[in-house]
Amino acid sequence: MRKRVAITGMGVVTPLGHSVGELFGAVVEGQSGVGPITLFDAGTFPTRFAAEVKDFDLGRYVDEPQRWAHAGPNSRLAAAAARQALEDAGLLDNETIDRTRCGVYMGTGEGVQDFHHLIWLVGQHYQPEQRTLDRPAFIAGALRDFNPAREFEQELHTTTAHLADYFRLWGPNYNCLTACAAGGQAIGEAAEMIRHGDAEVMLAGGSHSMIHPLGVTGFSLLNALSTNNADYQHASRPFDLRRDGFVLGEGSGVVILEELEHARRRGAPIYAELTGYGSTADAFRVTDSHPEGRGAVVCMREALNDAGLLPEDVGYINAHGTSTPLNDRVETLAIKQVFGGQAYRVPVSSSKSMLGHLIAAAGAVELIICVMALRRGVFPPTINYEVPDPECDLDYIANDAREQKARHALSNSFGFGGQNISLVVSRY
Amino acid sequence: MTSARRRAVLTGIGVLTPIGLDVPTFWDAFRNGQGGVRRIQAFDRSALSTRFGGEVLGFDSRNYLDKKERKRLNVMGRTIQFAVAGAQLALADSGVDKSRLDPARFGVEYGAATIPSELEELGPAARVCANCQPGTVHLANWGGAGIGCIPPMWMLNHVPNMLACHVSILHNAQGPNNTITQTDVAGLLALGEAYRTLIRDRADFFLVGGADTMISPINMVRQCLFRRLSRRNDAPERASRPFDRLRDGIIPGEGGGAVVLEEFDHARRRGGRIYAEVVGFGAAFGRSGEAASHGLVRAIRAALAEAGVGPEDIDHVNAQGYSAVDWDAWEAQGLSEVFGGCGRPVPVFAPKSYFGNLGAGSSIPELAASLLAFEHNLVPATLNYKEPDPACPVTVTRTPQPVSRPFFLKVSFTELGQCAAVVCRKL
Repeated sequence: MRKRVAITGMGVVTPLGHSVGELFGAVVEGQSGVGPITLFDAGTFPTRFAAEVKDFDLGRYVDEPQRWAHAGPNSRLAAAAARQALEDAGLLDNETIDRTRCGVYMGTGEGVQDFHHLIWLVGQHYQPEQRTLDRPAFIAGALRDFNPAREFEQELHTTTAHLADYFRLWGPNYNCLTACAAGGQAIGEAAEMIRHGDAEVMLAGGSHSMIHPLGVTGFSLLNALSTNNADYQHASRPFDLRRDGFVLGEGSGVVILEELEHARRRGAPIYAELTGYGSTADAFRVTDSHPEGRGAVVCMREALNDAGLLPEDVGYINAHGTSTPLNDRVETLAIKQVFGGQAYRVPVSSSKSMLGHLIAAAGAVELIICVMALRRGVFPPTINYEVPDPECDLDYIANDAREQKARHALSNSFGFGGQNISLVVSRY
Repeated sequence: MTSARRRAVLTGIGVLTPIGLDVPTFWDAFRNGQGGVRRIQAFDRSALSTRFGGEVLGFDSRNYLDKKERKRLNVMGRTIQFAVAGAQLALADSGVDKSRLDPARFGVEYGAATIPSELEELGPAARVCANCQPGTVHLANWGGAGIGCIPPMWMLNHVPNMLACHVSILHNAQGPNNTITQTDVAGLLALGEAYRTLIRDRADFFLVGGADTMISPINMVRQCLFRRLSRRNDAPERASRPFDRLRDGIIPGEGGGAVVLEEFDHARRRGGRIYAEVVGFGAAFGRSGEAASHGLVRAIRAALAEAGVGPEDIDHVNAQGYSAVDWDAWEAQGLSEVFGGCGRPVPVFAPKSYFGNLGAGSSIPELAASLLAFEHNLVPATLNYKEPDPACPVTVTRTPQPVSRPFFLKVSFTELGQCAAVVCRKL
């Protein structure tokens, strides 16, 4: 029989709280984590607001915060969330388990480029007539100005190496970066490693911040961000007719996945069971999802099949729900195709209405919200839902949380570039 | 008729490397002992402390795409172009009729790394915010006039998952799609994950690849800053010397490749050529000097156990062999721990001696070298291996030698401790 995967620990750092309890309390109340960008002077940018993590102090979570002194927020937030999750699972200093059987699988975004040094040097040495750079001059300047440690910490394998090294997790060590699907994908693939026997415990999740000049620039150029600067707290409005783009967020979510019998033997807390994982690609366009949600439909079906469930078994859907015109329409259409007549009966909400879009971390944080929703019997709302869109006509749990019991929840994450991930969690 | 147990076989190879842009040229270089490490030609290298590397020459991405697809190249940086070209070559090599593949059962998995911005694209915007304070820019000008000077799709040129995304779009691969970003081990981890996915019946056909480049001004700067690179600027062709006593650092490179990983019956039904079967995979984390045992040793033992073979059954080890002082010793000690007691010296072959470190593009072309070794019954020599180093207790291939056993082991790792091992079997 296939091994089962329990969730035995959870940790988060988000714009609405630095613990799972704080986060879930805030999303049930329908709070917004969105505010003006303070991390850099965004005063002239097309979008000047985001959902930032506030008052974060890594020293509260680890004894050696200086280890991450040159690391980007992706690594720092991951360390804090990982510490919470390991402690929650009773694995922080647990010497009775075999730590070579504990791995790491994160969907962590890139570190932050040294914007000021990079752009200053490019500006100095760019030759507009030839549209080229004076390369030797740039190279000499960069060798002089770039900080080697900071450059190294931008490498994409550093975050999970810190986690493995610091928390002594000697098993398989992966990081995937599939844009907005990464956190969910990391959890799904980590669960598969446990099912296969590659590890007994996997620390899995996502971590990311793109609230920096180049990140906001990149998304602005793609017209992906809301520009509702005048009313930023209402800018993230998934499924609402007046939605105009997503709101950038930042944060980290980490779960401890554990082989069920391993968890039971050691008397670990079992918050939920990860029962289903689906992974597909749209194979359509680099920027747009398939107009009929082709990949998303198959993905949700795969996750349900994997969990051995029928659509009517699902009591709550945590949508990808980005608040972009295209995603929310296509996701709605995809849910209708998968759930048929049930589609109007299953409550759907988007945590991004409150947290913004945590990009690579989104899927992990949203899965944790699903676990809490099942355990507490409360489904968090989609806030800022005011004007119905005729093309988005499901039950989005508008504005107020709902007390309702469910056994199984589905969480969707769809990445820029076409990767689709669906996860199913079930009460244990 | 189908097998009771699903099996995964490698049926196509595509390579884009400093020693060849096609399989025959690539193999000839190994057979003839011709390396591809040279002085950098792509740009004025004079200000660098390491001025050579494994550069891919003569690569024209237009050769790999149909005319109607070529407009897509505008949003593909060099790394993405390597990925797309490698996939094209691997598919062609597999001989598969694409129209007969089930898109939902066709997966893509790539290893990729940080892809820094293309500097020229940022030039006009950077000039707008120039000021006279070194190291700071006028952010208000950037947010105002600057942003509009940047090509709209700029970000998509350097998001790592774009390698696998473009490949999936070009080939209508709607199955599982993932991008592993563990730098120098990324490609092998991707292969391991694709292998697991295929065995558990989520796909029948996979393109697995990796691509990377360090041969650009900003990447060379970054490598020079945080890595111990070889400084053998006076003799680049002798710089990459894994396990040799006179090695002095990593050789930066660029390139990549892809392999087709296919379910055995799927391959057999269509009469596809089978290079080898993937029979074991293991991954672990662990650096030397830790309480936990050597990560590479654990990864290798897991892969051997899954393959159901012992160290004595392995024809040769295809090593990571960075040509780095510390890491080669670390690797050799790990290999010696696994293979030391097996009664015969197991030959160790280090493909980086031919082209340096291709980063996330390394593992797949390196694996391809052993697949071709099996195909041609010849394990290549490791270049520049002249003086054994007592710190590296392994038997490195000095001359080409015939294959004597049906299994090989490919290992990769990062300098931080992510390790992977794959065992392949000749059918």
